Amino acid sequence: METKKTKTGLLSKKMDRRTFLKLSGAAGATAAVVGFPNVLRGARAKEIKIGSIQPATGMIAEIGQACRRGNILAVEDINRRGGIKSMGGAKLKLLLGDHEGKPEVGRSEAERLIREGAVVLVGAFMSSVTMAIATLAEQRGVPFVIDIAAADPITQQGYKYIFRNFPRSSVFGRCFAEYLTKIIERSKVPVKRAVLMNIDDLYGNVTAKFTLKALKEKNVPIEIVDQIVFPHAAKDLSTEVAKVKALKPDILLPIVRIATSRVLVRELYKQRVPLLGIIAPGCPGFYEPEFFRDMGSLAEYIMDSPPWINPKSRMFKEVNERYQKRFNKSPLDTNSAYAYEGVMIIADALERAASTDPDKIVEALRKTYIEEHITLGGPISFDEKGDNINAITGMLQNLGGRTRLVLPERFAEADYVFPMPKQLWERGV
Amino acid sequence: MSLHLAIKFGISGLLTGGVYSLIAIGLSLIFGVMGVINFAHGQMMVWGMYIAYWLFVLLGIEPYFSLLVSAGALFAMGFVVQKLVVNRILDYPEAMQVLPLIGLGLILENSALLFWGPDHRSPQMSLSLSTIWLGDVMLDVPRIIAFVIALLIAFLLFLFLKKTDTGKAIRAAADNRLGARLVGIKVDHINNISFAIGAASVGAAGALMLPLIPLCPHLGHDFTLTAFVIVILGGLGSITGAMVGGLILGVAESLGTLFIPPSMKQVVSFTIMVVIMLLKPQGLFGGKR
Repeated sequence: METKKTKTGLLSKKMDRRTFLKLSGAAGATAAVVGFPNVLRGARAKEIKIGSIQPATGMIAEIGQACRRGNILAVEDINRRGGIKSMGGAKLKLLLGDHEGKPEVGRSEAERLIREGAVVLVGAFMSSVTMAIATLAEQRGVPFVIDIAAADPITQQGYKYIFRNFPRSSVFGRCFAEYLTKIIERSKVPVKRAVLMNIDDLYGNVTAKFTLKALKEKNVPIEIVDQIVFPHAAKDLSTEVAKVKALKPDILLPIVRIATSRVLVRELYKQRVPLLGIIAPGCPGFYEPEFFRDMGSLAEYIMDSPPWINPKSRMFKEVNERYQKRFNKSPLDTNSAYAYEGVMIIADALERAASTDPDKIVEALRKTYIEEHITLGGPISFDEKGDNINAITGMLQNLGGRTRLVLPERFAEADYVFPMPKQLWERGV
Repeated sequence: MSLHLAIKFGISGLLTGGVYSLIAIGLSLIFGVMGVINFAHGQMMVWGMYIAYWLFVLLGIEPYFSLLVSAGALFAMGFVVQKLVVNRILDYPEAMQVLPLIGLGLILENSALLFWGPDHRSPQMSLSLSTIWLGDVMLDVPRIIAFVIALLIAFLLFLFLKKTDTGKAIRAAADNRLGARLVGIKVDHINNISFAIGAASVGAAGALMLPLIPLCPHLGHDFTLTAFVIVILGGLGSITGAMVGGLILGVAESLGTLFIPPSMKQVVSFTIMVVIMLLKPQGLFGGKR
């Protein structure tokens, strides 16, 4: 009840502003007739600047561009529907920043966008960069909606202006443990031993740590017989895979990057490592269209549990259509979808805040409740730390030349196949 | 089991080392003749890989044949680079020689990014999954082929340097530039040829690497560094040194993972480099530079 009261309070203020805008609009129109162009400019529907900071160039430019496209499409969609209605149809304007994958660049880009008038920031894909931007945004009192970045600590600093839609690393681990338990318990053949492999960079080590922790906490009925860490720049995994083979695991849990996914699967094929399944705890490399292009039938049956789009969402289908039309590119993927949602969340908050005052925006963000959206999980809603409480990851499996969502059941497109009906080398490549 | 693994790792390392050798030979040749370190070496290899990649994807030519095209294209590139850039900086202080070549590396890397995008490419070739089993030890066919071809190219290069007139002229220019000029060798031209041959051998190595590692524009740095370590190990400017150095490094990196975590593989190569620098700074086969 009390919140409602404050809402009415906000609303009445909103009305004031709207009347004010109308009045000034009228004044502007008069002025236009009389011929004062300066006054006219001030009277147009206001423009609200949002700063988008993505890795648009550099090592992960491809992903950064997808994120940027997601941000752009969301802004265009909102403007087409009449902008922020509570602010007299104010249009959103996206200021584009590029952090090149470097924290210091991210910080200076954030600084620049704030100077250019951004009232909210969105970004930034990489956790290290996002952390740097978050610190700055907090200092400057500029709300920052993180569309993608998983590292837990970003939201654990007690920051007031930081919100995150993306599932954090511990959620990755928790969901993975849940899905893996389900797969093991339903399996007709016993699944006892697993080997965890991870790439030796911040991302790989953190994901491995959270995976192991979650498997232990959730009492997943499997023994992790070894953890094999391989170098970031690995060009050859023959020694690592030889070790895996010697350990005789039932399943392999790999945490790789795009380049190593190919090397790993080919090496498993060559060394004839018998496995019931390859189940990745949420990493890139196994589900992209390029993986199927390069690997053909070897891509089949591999499972992975990254954050994902909701294939059953009607809204997703619409956005995806517009995205493909607008950018003439591959479909809306999980990165561009989260980027799209980032701006969606901001617009929703602006609509309710009816103001560009940072504290009012933050206040509105806290009360976010978006039921219909395009990624997995329940309604978007933030806890006191700024994390989306309903963010989850999904379990994917490569089936019939493309990747499909197989868990959780309420979103699933297909049933999963476990154990793999054919080993890698039995598939007649 | 430990012995079994050691044999396995040793063989795998030796095979990789063969390709390392070919990469390093190019670098060593260029240094030997011009005294310039080609910091764009890895990036040149990446271009060789892209050429082989497109020939495979568009025309279906396997890299073992298209390596001739890769080598040819890189030969031309090397010739032009030497003629336009390196010949002008030969007498500059070393620190200044480094910059244009690093710049060239950046240009090559980023133009590859511009033309072909940042994604990793790893096409399935007819032999990329074939293996031979010797008892329990697995041998990777593409790696064996790469090893054999790399050694063959190195051997031909060696013969070329020993037996042909141009080869002898190159060695003469490497040994004593002024002396070579005095006996009538066109040293500038020889420089062009040497750089071109160095680039061609790394181009061929690129084609051989294509079935082994996923290709992307940013691969270059690591290989420049690896080649550099090998050349220091074997002795700057020594072809035999580069050959042996490559094999040693390949085996050492691979065997090292028996004792230390694989993620620290590079510790082995850099430790070797530091030890060599301390005990035998001219390298295993280095002369009296």
